[in-house]
Amino acid sequence: MNYLFLDIITTAAILFIISSGLLIIFGVMKVINFAHGVFLTIGGYSSLVVTRFDWDPWFSMPLAFVVGCLLGAFIERAILRFLYHRPLDAILATWGLGIVLGQLIIIAFGREVQFADRPVSGAVELLGAFYSQYRLLLIIFAVLVAAAMWLLLKGTRIGLQTRAVIMNEPLARGLGINSSRVRLITFSFGAGLACLAGAFITPLSSVDPNMGLPWLVSAFMLVLVSGNSFLALAIACLVLGGAQVLASTYINPIIGGLTIAVLAALLLRLRPKGFAYD
Amino acid sequence: MTRFIGGVEADHGYLVLPLHVRFRAVCILTALALIVVLIGPFVLDPYTQSVLVRAFLLAVTALTVDLLWGTTGILTFAQGAFFGIGAYAAGLMFTHVGYTAGTVLFALLAAITVSMLVAAFVGWLAFWQGATSLYVAVVTLVLPIVVVQLIYSGGSFTGSSSGLVGFDAPSLSMSGWFWFTGTLMVLLTACAWVFIRSDYGRMLNAIRDNETRNRYLGIPTSHIKITLMMAMAALASMAGFIYACVGTIVAPEHAGFVFGTELVIYVALGGRGTVLGPVIGTIGLEWASAYISSILPFVWTIIIGTIFVVVIVIMPEGLLPPIWRTLSKKLPSRLAKAAKGKGAITFYPLAESDIKTFPANMSQPALDLSSVTKRYGHLKVLQGIDIAVMPGELVGIVGPNGAGKTTLMRCISDGLERSSGVIKVNGKDIGQKSPAAITTLGLGRSFQNTSLFESLSVSECLRLARYRHWQPSKTDTADRIGLPTAAMEVLESTGLTSQLDGKVNNLPHGMKRALELTMVLSLEPNVLLLDEPTAGLTKADRLMIGNILTDLQTRLGLAIVLIEHDFDFVKQVCSRLVVLHRGELVLDGEVQEVVNSDLVQEIYSGHVE
Repeated sequence: MNYLFLDIITTAAILFIISSGLLIIFGVMKVINFAHGVFLTIGGYSSLVVTRFDWDPWFSMPLAFVVGCLLGAFIERAILRFLYHRPLDAILATWGLGIVLGQLIIIAFGREVQFADRPVSGAVELLGAFYSQYRLLLIIFAVLVAAAMWLLLKGTRIGLQTRAVIMNEPLARGLGINSSRVRLITFSFGAGLACLAGAFITPLSSVDPNMGLPWLVSAFMLVLVSGNSFLALAIACLVLGGAQVLASTYINPIIGGLTIAVLAALLLRLRPKGFAYD
Repeated sequence: MTRFIGGVEADHGYLVLPLHVRFRAVCILTALALIVVLIGPFVLDPYTQSVLVRAFLLAVTALTVDLLWGTTGILTFAQGAFFGIGAYAAGLMFTHVGYTAGTVLFALLAAITVSMLVAAFVGWLAFWQGATSLYVAVVTLVLPIVVVQLIYSGGSFTGSSSGLVGFDAPSLSMSGWFWFTGTLMVLLTACAWVFIRSDYGRMLNAIRDNETRNRYLGIPTSHIKITLMMAMAALASMAGFIYACVGTIVAPEHAGFVFGTELVIYVALGGRGTVLGPVIGTIGLEWASAYISSILPFVWTIIIGTIFVVVIVIMPEGLLPPIWRTLSKKLPSRLAKAAKGKGAITFYPLAESDIKTFPANMSQPALDLSSVTKRYGHLKVLQGIDIAVMPGELVGIVGPNGAGKTTLMRCISDGLERSSGVIKVNGKDIGQKSPAAITTLGLGRSFQNTSLFESLSVSECLRLARYRHWQPSKTDTADRIGLPTAAMEVLESTGLTSQLDGKVNNLPHGMKRALELTMVLSLEPNVLLLDEPTAGLTKADRLMIGNILTDLQTRLGLAIVLIEHDFDFVKQVCSRLVVLHRGELVLDGEVQEVVNSDLVQEIYSGHVE
């Protein structure tokens, strides 16, 4: 029972970490970034690079974040800014971009499954159960990500500008906010967050060129049911992630793998706003 | 080349063409393509033939993506899943039951039935009123994931991740398959080409451009999209079925989401909405990748991915249209004109006997509202509105901005809008009906902000407006279309007749308003809702529209409700005035009486509480 509880909490934390980068991009730009999966993969390979150079495994996280930010900034300037009025085309362009980046990764690192060093390993006793230390650590990471987002959005000038653009872009521009700059920063930050998430989840499994793809669909569905609210995302991760864990445990893992996608699609049919409340 | 003929004598000038020029061109091109398919096996080595057989089947599937996405605007990743359903129907049947003529037929029927049922379900999920195009993409993304997971969970029954191999299946020589799939591909392409250029195809374009407006023209868009999705699912699963027979192998990749996106990539590269582009693109890319990917395995994917991104960003119309434009400049002008294939369209006034307007029942109100209320949370936008409009009445609704006038129009024309209250159109309760269904009760509505189909021409818009009374052909474009006299009068007197071929987005504002009014009148409604029909028009145009409205009211007995700010216009045309203020009906009476009342003066000068 305790295991189940911890599984639900940690799964929700993982889902929250991998979806937040996509959410911030969708919230501000109304664009679904289908390169999100490949960004996660890039985060995984950052960990692999760190392992190969024999650096401290913790260093993989800042590295992934910086790589993601730079890549995101480049992609926003080169491709996305032409597609703001064509959201469906933006999905396709980012998907194509994901294909290209995925192939580049294969050329650079090969197709095979590889392993990166973990920053922490082993189990710890909690609530009378032995549980993976790293999974528990992910809960803290998720809280840190949420806190960082909250501080950035509520406490900084660029955060205020971002919120203005989310609410009403034409008006924000009329007030002299450089929305193109807001978009650049947002996408770059979102991409950085996605790569960071990739580095976060790498110790849970292995690194391979398609590691991000299964997460993409989950993240995509979670973001759609959350609108542009981080609180709604947290709730969605808990509810749908919890459902996934329960379905995997009590029915079978294959049904579990479908839970998020199917429940989110049905939820959106019944309540188009999903978990968003206003 | 659109002519305009006023008057009935136009009938005599009408020539019935047994086959349109376009059809001749299609027939010639199809015959040429079939000859190429026939010659193929004699000049191509077996490997190339097998590559092309696969390419032909994928081209058929890409064609279905093009009809859904390019033509109708439904971005779908699900066609791969339908292909997979077809392939697995063959694989499962021949592996577990065996191959006989009977099982082939049964498996094919099962494949088509199952995929159509699944498509109907997906359509029901995806195409409810108010669904965004993003939501549709979501649902079609979930389908292949579900299908693949089901295949994985099937264990040895479905072969799990390794699929099913080496079953007995209908066998033909490679040349035989080449002829079979090639012919199928050419014929289906020809059909699709004719189909998207038909009136029905234009209607699908209109759904892509402005679905909401279609609903208010009485076109049941959700129904049409679900039907189209089912038909395309059947085609894709048929292609998958044949694919499984050719290769005697099925694998989960044939149903997957990545395969679905590949099809979308082919369509985007070839040229969405062009039919030929996706087909040529698929065959070309499949053929090229079979050769190049063995030499440059990873680089080839990068090249395709890069071209795809570049095409999406820089030329979203794809590769075929620009190539075609360059080529058509070099063609002899006569050929080029034939290829354009625009027939002359004639509009003529319908005889009174052809007008199907609801018979006005003079004893009951044409439009009857009782205690209509609309709330957003605690905010009441409309409260207990009671209005009855008799046939032959022209009621003006006035009130300051934010009084709820446009909301009232929305409540009348869409059954899901109001929070409570009963609305009857021609004595029939609108219940929770969709705008399309309410339109068929005899209601026509124009919008405050002109809402038209920007990429269509004026004459195409008018054709759409006649959907209710005249089923669009799936193969041909009609040469002549009858419009009600009132619509004809607006056309003639506004000079729209000289603009029939022009694209709607090039029209000046006044013309757009006139076109909108013409479209609404073409519905032959007997209850007309007009939201500021004269906003932004010149004095002369206003006068003209005023005269037409009074004529509709007195001669044809239409019940008209119009929202208007211009009191001079209201005094000129209306027989009754209703005043809305803060969501409440505060006055209902004779025009003069209302205009001169103290209350109206106060509301408009802002002194009333």
